[in-house]
Amino acid sequence: MNYLDYLASNSQQILFLTQAHFLVVLIAVGVGSAISIALGLALSTGEPDPPRLSFDWFAAGIREGGLVFTAALLTVPSLALFALFLPFTGLGVTTAVVVLTIYTLYTVLRNTVAGLTTVDRAVLESARGLGYSRIRRLLTIQLPLAWPVILNGIRVTTLISISIAVVGAVVQGPGLGILLINGISRIGAANSFYQVLTGTLFCLVVAAVFEIFFAIVQRLTVPRGIRV
Amino acid sequence: MSDTSDQTVVETPHGAGKSDMIVLEGVEKIYPGSTQPAVSQLDLAIPQGDIVMLIGPSGCGKTTTLKMINRLIEPTSGRILLDGKDVTHVNGDQLRREIGYVIQQGGLFPHFSIADNIGVVPKMLGWDKQRIRERADELLHLVGLEPSVFRDRYPRQLSGGQQQRIGVARALAADPPVMLMDEPFGAIDPITRDRLQDEFLEIQRTVGKTIAFVTHDLQEAVKLGDKIAVFATGRLEQYDDPDTILTRPANEFVSDFVGGGAAVRRLSLVELAHLELHPIETDERAVGGHNGTAVAEVDGSGKPVSWRHLPGGDAAGMPLVTVPISGSVYDAVDVMLDGCASIVAVVDEEGRAQGVLHWNDLLGGLRTRERHS
Repeated sequence: MNYLDYLASNSQQILFLTQAHFLVVLIAVGVGSAISIALGLALSTGEPDPPRLSFDWFAAGIREGGLVFTAALLTVPSLALFALFLPFTGLGVTTAVVVLTIYTLYTVLRNTVAGLTTVDRAVLESARGLGYSRIRRLLTIQLPLAWPVILNGIRVTTLISISIAVVGAVVQGPGLGILLINGISRIGAANSFYQVLTGTLFCLVVAAVFEIFFAIVQRLTVPRGIRV
Repeated sequence: MSDTSDQTVVETPHGAGKSDMIVLEGVEKIYPGSTQPAVSQLDLAIPQGDIVMLIGPSGCGKTTTLKMINRLIEPTSGRILLDGKDVTHVNGDQLRREIGYVIQQGGLFPHFSIADNIGVVPKMLGWDKQRIRERADELLHLVGLEPSVFRDRYPRQLSGGQQQRIGVARALAADPPVMLMDEPFGAIDPITRDRLQDEFLEIQRTVGKTIAFVTHDLQEAVKLGDKIAVFATGRLEQYDDPDTILTRPANEFVSDFVGGGAAVRRLSLVELAHLELHPIETDERAVGGHNGTAVAEVDGSGKPVSWRHLPGGDAAGMPLVTVPISGSVYDAVDVMLDGCASIVAVVDEEGRAQGVLHWNDLLGGLRTRERHS
């Protein structure tokens, strides 16, 4: 049986696993990004001339702490984190999604914070001088201007998640990891190498689909005046 | 100040009868963590329709003062009155929507089109779309940019000078009575800056706003200001019209700040249009001579090209140089030095001669009319 025959005879399963892989990453990145962006916005500081006792000090503390914490989480080996969640969320999709979501937090939060704080001071000052309230400035000036940076963070975290999702197969998470784990555990047996090869190649396919998706999202959501 | 009413109208020596649009009463700012006030016990009244230039070395409190007027910086103590109304404790964001604000780098929103940038304040004030669009076009015209070309562009497609024009247009959008300008022309090249300043004065002639304008450039302060407020480390050292600041500095600090060359700088205060010039003849048959009138040869369009006769001088050896009547004596002197000529013809917009200015006039004292006649 050559590789093309293998692909042809297993196309149903491969297609299903690829779709599952795509979806689990999409959900995790979606949820993780929403949490991170919301956190980044809620904890954004940098108001000029703050009163002595301000929420800003508190927010800055939580934000920096959150960054350290999510960074620490990102360094936990994925195999371990999937295993650690087993007692709480059990085998299957839930554990896979929860753990993947945790891995997406740091990159998006970091980029959200960076994007929001690097908006040109002159732009923010003039907005304030024209009577923009803090919320209005955050949502109509800072967020749109930070969006390309945030979107890049989401893109990076998506690529990372595609490969981490493979490990999710150890807790019976959905996706192409099943092919890889199966193939590796039977290495030397019939089609085992094809399984590994397919798992790898179709991860690339998933990545390619996401890249196209993000190119379109970027085109549609980055304001015209700041497109490069 | 012991007024109990919020409707105080303070008479000022220069603005005969004009009420004060902006009044700062005993305003002080001490930044957190600092013991030294950035601005201490400041009393300042800006008459309606005047341009007041706040000037001083960096760290003198001029920008802090400006930003306390629209409460971008909250004063530690004191009162701020706007058109007689105490605004020290009103909602800051709402207050700022009714005060124009222009900063150095323009501060345009890069993701908004030019028309949207100009329309930000009207939009917040709830104007309808049609009215906002018309207002944007009107203001683009006012600042000399063609609406059909510029309204849909984005800030990054504009030059620094154009961006600054949009910054001014945006500040004027909701027609606020008061404008605050924080070194608006500071980051612009000298030639463009000069043109923007001229345009700014032109616009001010039509809109007549009350303007507080921060600058570090004395030349700019003298050129644009009806009054100049000189600051030093949080204190107001002198508050007077430009002529007085230059010729009669109140103390050593002001005289050091004004520096040498005050007499030369004063030349830029004297506008040629307000000067009594010597007559000039351009008639074909005129010979001048005995009555001391200068006679110039003109070309087909009435522009003087050379001297036929000069009183008490050699007309043949003297190049004919011209200066527009919209300029100042400073410009005339510049032209004379540049052309090695001791006499200059003052011309109107069409280039026709209106009169002449002699080098000796500078030494004998210039006969001018009142500056704000």
